[in-house]
Formats: sequence, C-alpha cells, structure tokens
Amino acid sequence: MKTILSVENLIKKYKNFKAVDDLSFDVKKGEILGLLGPNGSGKSTTINCILSLLKFESGKITIFGCEMRPDAYDIKKDIGVVFQEVAVFEELNVIDNIDYFCGLYIKDKEYRKKCIDDAIKLVGLEDFKKFYPKQLSGGLLRRLNIACGIAHKPKLVFLDEPTVAVDPQSRNNILDGIKKLRDNGATIIYTTHYMEEVEILCDRVIIIDKGKIIASGTGDELKELSKIEEKVTVEIDSLDEKILEEIKQFKNVDEATYNNGILFITYKKGKNNLSSLIDYLKKVDVHYDKIYSERPTLNDVFLYLTGKELRD
Amino acid sequence: MFLHNLKYSLKTLFKNKMLIFWTYAFPLILGTFFYLAFSNIENSEKLDIIDIAIVDNEEFNNSIALKESFRNLSGENEQEQLFNIKYVDLAEAKTLLENDEIAGYLLVEDSPKVIVKTSGINETILKYVTEEIIQNEDVLTNIIEEKLNSTVIDGSIEEFIQNVREDAISMLDTSSLQIRDITSKKLSYTMIEFYTLIAMTALYGGIIGMTAINQNLANMSNNGKRIAVSPTNRIKIIFSSLLSSFIVQIIGLFILFMYTVFALKVDYGNNFPMIILLSLTGSLAGLSLGLAVGTIFKINENLKTGIIIAFTMLGSFLSGMMGITMKYIIDTNAPIVNKLNPVNMITDGFYSLYYYTTYNRFYFNIISLLIFSLIMIILSVLALRRQKYDSI
Ligand SMILES: Nc1ncnc2c1ncn2[C@@H]1O[C@H](COP(=O)(O)OP(=O)(O)OP(=O)(O)O)[C@@H](O)[C@H]1O
Ligand SMILES: [Mg+2]
Repeated sequence: MKTILSVENLIKKYKNFKAVDDLSFDVKKGEILGLLGPNGSGKSTTINCILSLLKFESGKITIFGCEMRPDAYDIKKDIGVVFQEVAVFEELNVIDNIDYFCGLYIKDKEYRKKCIDDAIKLVGLEDFKKFYPKQLSGGLLRRLNIACGIAHKPKLVFLDEPTVAVDPQSRNNILDGIKKLRDNGATIIYTTHYMEEVEILCDRVIIIDKGKIIASGTGDELKELSKIEEKVTVEIDSLDEKILEEIKQFKNVDEATYNNGILFITYKKGKNNLSSLIDYLKKVDVHYDKIYSERPTLNDVFLYLTGKELRD
Repeated sequence: MFLHNLKYSLKTLFKNKMLIFWTYAFPLILGTFFYLAFSNIENSEKLDIIDIAIVDNEEFNNSIALKESFRNLSGENEQEQLFNIKYVDLAEAKTLLENDEIAGYLLVEDSPKVIVKTSGINETILKYVTEEIIQNEDVLTNIIEEKLNSTVIDGSIEEFIQNVREDAISMLDTSSLQIRDITSKKLSYTMIEFYTLIAMTALYGGIIGMTAINQNLANMSNNGKRIAVSPTNRIKIIFSSLLSSFIVQIIGLFILFMYTVFALKVDYGNNFPMIILLSLTGSLAGLSLGLAVGTIFKINENLKTGIIIAFTMLGSFLSGMMGITMKYIIDTNAPIVNKLNPVNMITDGFYSLYYYTTYNRFYFNIISLLIFSLIMIILSVLALRRQKYDSI
C-alpha cells in the first residue's frame, strides 16, 4: 500500500511543555487511521504540526511523497481539514459557507456547484441550505463544519473530534459520511477520545498519551495487548467472601471483585468461561438477577497500558 | 481567488450588524445629535457680536496684520461683523474685563497676547482668531520682504513704504491671503464637530478592516485556520479583504457626507477633489490602523474593536469633537499631541480646506496621514511575515 502521510520523530513544545514527544507514524492510502487519546494528549497539536500551522522543534512531515511546507500548494489542494472548533461565517448561510471554503480550492463554478451539492448530501443538510449557523442545532452545525472541510473532494482528510458534543443521530450521520468518503477513495485521519467510534470506524488505531504513542495496530491487535479476553458482570444481592475467593482461583480468571451488588470478573483467555461460572453459581446455590459477558474495549487497553481511564 | 474572497468578504461585512452599527449608524446618530444640540446654541449665539477690547499701544499700531484684520472683523457690514472692539489703554481694558463687559482683550507687547477671564466659547473664538492672524502674519511678512527686495532698487523709500502698506491692506481686504472671511456667519464653531465626526468615521473604518483580516489569519480565528490550510496565497487573500473593507468604509463615509450635507446642512467648502482626497487618505489611515490592530494583537476580536473605538474616541475628543476649546488647548499647549493624532490630521485637513486658500497646511495633514498609514502597514507586515505559529 502506498504511504500517503508520514510523520517522523515529531517533537513540539509549547514553551517548556512537550505536547508532542517524538511521534512517528505512517498513513496508508485508503485507510481510516484513528488517533485515540484522552483530552490534552496532543492530538490537535499533532494535526496542526502536520498541516504546517504550528512550528515544531524537530521532525519531518511528508505528504504525497513531498515535504510539507506552508506554501506547498500542490499538497494543500488535495487536503481537507475539519478542525476541532467549528469554523464557519456567522453571516453566511449553509450554501454560502460551503461555497466560500470550496472556492478556495475549486475555481470552476459549475464543478464547484456539484461539489457543494455532494457535500450537502453527504452530511444530510439538504433541508437546511438557506439556514444561518445560528439557526442550526449543535449537531447540524458540526455537519456544516464537516461539509466546509471536505466539499472539494480531498484525497487526504483530517477530522479532529468532529463528533464532540453531538446528538446520536448526527453522530451516526457523521460516521456514515466519513465511511462514504473512504469508500470514494479518500484517506482519513480521525482523532477522537471516543473509543466506540474508533472501533466502528477505523482500520487502524494509534493510541497516544502525553504526546507519545503508547500502542498502535488494528482494534483486535490492540485488544490483545490488554491481556483480557472476556469481562463478566453478575448482579447478585449478596455474596459470601468465601465464594469470591473461590472464583478468584478459577481457571483463566485474572481478577474478581464484588462491590455494591456487582460481581465483576476479568478472564485472561480460554473458552466456556461464562458457562462454567453459571454452573458453579448453581452448584453453590447463589441467585443472580443478571449475568452478561463482554469483549474488552480499547478503554481496557488504555487502562491496562496507562493505569487510567481514557475518559474521566 | 481574489474576487471570490472579495465577494464573500463584502457579504460578511455588510451582514455584520455590530460592525455596521459602529461604522454606519453610530456616526449618523452622533451627527444628528450634534445638529440638534448645536443648532440651538448657534441660533441663539450666532447673532451675538463679541465685545472685546484692544490695548491701543504703539506695538499694536505697528502690526499691520493685526490691526487690519481686526478692523475687518469689526467691519461696517453688520452681517459679517464678529467683534465689537473698544480701543482703550491697558488699565481700562483690565477694568472692562473685570466688570465682564468684554470677553477679553488683546495686548501686543513683544508678542501679541489675548487675556481672558473664563474659557467660554466667545473667549475661545477670540483666541483662535488671534492665533490665526499671528500665524498668517509670517506669510504676510515674507511677501513684504520679497516686495522690498524688488522695489528698493527703483523708487524712493517713502514711496516704497506707502506701496507696501497699501498692498498689505488690500491683501487682507481681498482675502487673497490665508484668512478667508472669518466672520460670525462663517466661523461656525460647530463645523469642527462635524469635521471630527467625519474623521472619527474614517478611523472607525479600522474596525471593518480588522474584522475582515481577523478572518484571514490562522492565529486569530478558526476561519483563518481553514484559509491557512487551503492552497491560496495569503497575501492575495489579505489584499482582497482589505479592498473589500475599504469599499465598505467608503460607502459608509459617502452616506455620512450625503446626510450631513443635505439633511444637516454642513458646509465642507467647494473643493471636491481635495475633500475626496482627504476622505480617501483618512480612510486609508483607518484601514491601516485596523490592519495593525488586527495583525499585531493576539486578543479577542471584541477587545480589538474596543481598542480601535477607544483610540478613535480619544483622538476625536482631542481634536475638538466635544467642542473647539479642546482642540485649541491642545493645539497651543501640546501641539505635538495633535500632530500625531490621526483624527486631528483629518479634522485639521477639512478645517484648513475650508478656511485657507493655500494648501500648505492641508498637504501637511495629507502627508501626516500617509506617514501614519505607512507606519501601521510596516508594523502589520512585520507581524504578517510569520507563516507558522508557536501556538494557535
Ligand atoms: N497554545 C497552547 N499553549 C500552551 N499549551 C498548549 C497550547 N495548546 C495546547 N496546549 C497543551 O498541549 C497539550 C496538547 O493539547 P492538544 O490540544 O493537542 O490536545 P488534544 O489531544 O487535542 O486534546 P482534546 O481532546 O482536548 O482536544 C495539552 O496539555 C494542552 O494543554
Ligand atoms: Mg484537540
């Protein structure tokens, strides 16, 4: 696969604070790469460095095989950016906003008109073409923000937390739109601190914390890192201390805790963990309300690697 | 790109309600307010002829310019009479002032001085007029000296002195010299308020430029970040935004001119090319002020608007927006302040266009405005040279 973007040893400091600490990664053509990290981990800073908006102490950015510079217009014409903060003109309606930003890339008016229509369709703003930003709900505004960034059909798209504070309906719409962009051939870099989104959307994930890459790979590869295979939750009114101790000795069990009527067990690996637990509970005559099993999430990976939750 | 940005920049500026209020509506409201407030004063005080005294000593009688100018201003033609003059000795002048029978008196010793008790409008007019005459006296003296050099060669001294005297008097009378009818009818002290109003509006144009430029810069706005990552030349975009701001500014100024001329009956004189030149130069100064505030300070946009408004308001106050007295005080006591004050450069430009037939003072103001603009632009260019930022 062709490398579209390569970041080598990027270091960025704000005064004495290292916001990005020796970051290196590649992005391949046609993939959706997720940059996952908690608030303040340096996701936006990384993107702004890649885009030549920020000065950085050291590192090399190559896009489409050429070095990125502020006046590298040949590179810039094929990039689309959706910044974390909404960037639209209050005084322009939906169509005009998209037309203005698209017009910075595409001169031909006919073609531009088509691009704008496509963008509006992609984010589902057909019914709001003449609306002003103030008249749009938070979710719709985010959609407009995206449309402004991608209307010119870029080959490489950066999306910086495009779903922050967005209602579920808009979120699904946005995620679908991003998949469509990829299906149309775009390469996408997607930052977020929502692990669920990353799991649904991304082909590959880079987890960053404090400006450093702490893990990368596909969702499944990462989950293996957490060394947890399965999580089981049992709702029980009361549980004998002895029984808990016995469960802890079970095959494959990593940890077992009981708090506030919830028995929580993590398994390292193995099969039939749930059924043997159910059998055991029956044997010792413990009654439970609910019992369910889950696969580990990227949050568990993050928890395992850093000792803290992805989101607080 | 240039036209694309120009079109949308115009659209966003015209739809920005706050902006249009400050740069279009506010000056119109303020102008109307001036008109209402001052038309009363003018109607009641305009016809008043100011009682003054002049100490009738040798020095006064030797000063042709002063003597003839004051004689003109107390002239027989009642329509144009500004002063009612008593020629007295010093002691009597003092008594008259003490008893409030005169606004003030003129005493010529080493240099001419105006002595007043209070600082009302009549006192200010007396001071102002005297100041004008003294300033013009230099010009007069030069002319006389030139004459002297040429005439002395032929003809007798007696004849010469007589000639020069007659020439000087006729020059003053026919106003071929600087002072054009300083009469009660013409010396409307509200005029200066309207001149500062125009000047204020020209500088308020800076808010327009600042708003437009803010949207172009990655370190100032989110829209600016979008522009920065697009394949467009920054300088082209900035020029385009500046041009659109200038257009919006000029339209606003034009509306204000039309309103003050036709509705409020303000007289700017008839020298239209120069009035237009001054308006454009003043607007350029406003625009470059806005550009500088927009590019240099990394602060909230409202705060930037505040800076431009505060700067302009202070400048307007010092150049006489709240009364000619202030301009007079600054011009005489701290002339440097108003020489550096762009509002005063515009105000004084209109003033000199109206009262003087020569352009020296006018051009001085035009050049001052150009220098001010140039400094602002240089500062902006220095700030604009950065393409990548330490933080955004
Ligand atoms: N202009 C700045 N000056 C100083 N420090 C900054 C600046 N911008 C960001 N930082 C710091 O750099 C770190 C990384 O910030 P960044 O915005 O890149 O994080 P992020 O991963 O995008 O977070 P979020 O999810 O909240 O958007 C944070 O600790 C932040 O406080
Ligand atoms: Mg961020």
